[in-house]
Amino acid sequence: MTMTKLKSTLAAGALAVATLATGGAALAQQKTEITFARFFGACDADYGTSQDYQKARGECGVITTLVNHFNATNKDNIVVKPQIIEWGPYYQQLTARIAARDVPTIAVMHTSQIGDFVRARVVEPIEDDLKAAGIDINDFTLHARTGVTLNGKVHALPWDTHAWLWHMNVGLFKQAGLVDAAGKPIVPKTVDELMQQARLIKEKTGKPYFVMASAGGDVGSGARSFWTMMYTQSASIFRDQNFDKADFNSPAAKNAFEVFERLSKEGYITKGIDGAGALGGFIGGNGAVLLTGTWRIDDMIAAAARPESALKEYTARIFSNLFREDAVWADNHSWVMPRGGTTPQTRKAAQVFLKYLWDHNFDWARGGGHLPIRNSLMAEYAKLPERSNVMRVTEIGRSLPHDVRRQFGFQSLIGEEVNNIINGNKLAAQAMKDAQERADQLLSRR
Amino acid sequence: MILGRGVKKLDLVDMLLLAALVGLAIVWVAPIVWVVGLAFKPNEVLMRTTGGVFAPPFTTKNFTDILATSAVFGWMLNSFIVSIGQTFLTLAISTLAGYGFARTDFPGKRIAFVLVIAGLAVPEQAIIVPLHTMFAEAHLHNTYLGLIAPRLAFPFGVFLMYQYFKGVPREIEEAAMLDNASRLRIFFRIVLPLTVPAQATLGIYTFLHAWNEYFWPLVSATKPEMYTLTIGLAATQTNFAQTEGIGFLMAQAVFAGLPILILYLFFQRHIVTAVAGGAAK
Repeated sequence: MTMTKLKSTLAAGALAVATLATGGAALAQQKTEITFARFFGACDADYGTSQDYQKARGECGVITTLVNHFNATNKDNIVVKPQIIEWGPYYQQLTARIAARDVPTIAVMHTSQIGDFVRARVVEPIEDDLKAAGIDINDFTLHARTGVTLNGKVHALPWDTHAWLWHMNVGLFKQAGLVDAAGKPIVPKTVDELMQQARLIKEKTGKPYFVMASAGGDVGSGARSFWTMMYTQSASIFRDQNFDKADFNSPAAKNAFEVFERLSKEGYITKGIDGAGALGGFIGGNGAVLLTGTWRIDDMIAAAARPESALKEYTARIFSNLFREDAVWADNHSWVMPRGGTTPQTRKAAQVFLKYLWDHNFDWARGGGHLPIRNSLMAEYAKLPERSNVMRVTEIGRSLPHDVRRQFGFQSLIGEEVNNIINGNKLAAQAMKDAQERADQLLSRR
Repeated sequence: MILGRGVKKLDLVDMLLLAALVGLAIVWVAPIVWVVGLAFKPNEVLMRTTGGVFAPPFTTKNFTDILATSAVFGWMLNSFIVSIGQTFLTLAISTLAGYGFARTDFPGKRIAFVLVIAGLAVPEQAIIVPLHTMFAEAHLHNTYLGLIAPRLAFPFGVFLMYQYFKGVPREIEEAAMLDNASRLRIFFRIVLPLTVPAQATLGIYTFLHAWNEYFWPLVSATKPEMYTLTIGLAATQTNFAQTEGIGFLMAQAVFAGLPILILYLFFQRHIVTAVAGGAAK
């Protein structure tokens, strides 16, 4: 081999090595991994590798396929790594993770929880991120915007609104003569009207008016019904805007608790059943109105469509205003970027992913069973079955102010006391007294 | 009265005891049978009613759905590593500590023993925050050591072994000492074999506790690849699993309990002997 040939071979080899090295490094640099902490479950069997978010059903199916699709199609070489945890202890784990400085890039959060995390200084405003991503916060619906805004600043990207509904067995309403000329169920507008309807339903069908979970640890149903009755009375359980003193002895709280007492005494509401029992009972035709959330609409439509179903006709309505103000309990899922969870590179990647989620908000609403949070999507949303009946949730939905600490603690204590009344363990007066004591204790902890 | 070879005729008391035993066994087993039955029912059927568990239709989909979860065998392996590691280390520490407190004298022994036993009165929840912070500072979360180490300080284990060693006659050790056996030799060759029933009891208890543990792995193993089976399976549940995924939930319970059941079937004789021996000492 001549010297020239040797030199060229060496040069070519060096070039190849350099190309491989730089190419490999570039490839390694291009991948940006972001972590995505969430509940909603895992559903590998049905959607493990699927990217078909338009066919996906249920919260788990839609979010799984959306992430799969994003990972497969995004042009920025971003990899979203889901970190899924059970919904029950999710917030305890998130708190522990943040304390251990194992902070996810993006995390799901109910807007009712954001206040506690902002006060702990782990959730910060993300308006600049949303702007950089091309997300128009002026398109947020009223309830969603209120939910993610603290101290005048947006702290999260809202993802949906979910609220408390009456799921109605129209067949039983017809049997009791409680439908209008068009065959639509007549919804009571006062507590007395409610009691009259409940009496008629019981007389004509032998079934209770309400089907509601009040056992098996289900506290959400009682609490959300209670909150709705408080909001419709334009009332609060707090004495002032400091939210450090609760008042369960107010006339409004008494009214709400006594509605449950009357329903229970007259046998107008199911007793001692858990969530599964309530759902099965309603589908089985064993009650006129199921008290649960927006997320059950599609299940009920599917159940009513089965030929052998005892749920012959179905419709959904916002929890009826039995007092004076149109209002209903509502909450949102949202996405936050906890402090310390990003580098400049992952923050940019997170913005890209948030924009992707924003662009697919309707897919979540359609498949996941919740309301979208974009005004621009509401017309399309209204075309889905039964959704036009519940769209006002985005305007009249109410949540506790962010200044209220430990909102899930309040949900538990109110739900338990309501369940006690329904199941005949306590009278309303005793439940009010006990709720007051427990609330004082809850608020006394710093 | 003896019937045939070794078959005793039951008197009234025996029959009453047997009836009570069968009754208790039914009460004990019925929920488990119910869980297994529900695990083979389609979720959409259970949404309508949870009655008719033993009537068709049946399905194995709930189990295939679990097996389709890509990480499930990794979680199971993690559970085995943590449970076995915790069991062996707990046995080693509790046995040595129990022997030390029962048979040796050292300055501050009484205070040290009181401090250890006082640990029995401290609930896990009371120390979870400092424990978590300590492990975070040491960067031990999301590691096997981080999952195993916090449970190694096990006052009940020390107390159990202490009590057991106390019951071993000193004369046995003294006889060995006369033969010039060292303290360690006496411990490993003579005393330790006598404590096998107690160690088996402690080992089974520790293993089951470690296998079923939920709270500490929840806050320590936050990366999915480090989840134990209990955390991983729970994470796969949808938010409405208790209403729309009952069959899947029950299948998870059966699946998580299956390895323990298989172990029990293999080691049944040893386990029963150990528990009986441990109880009778």
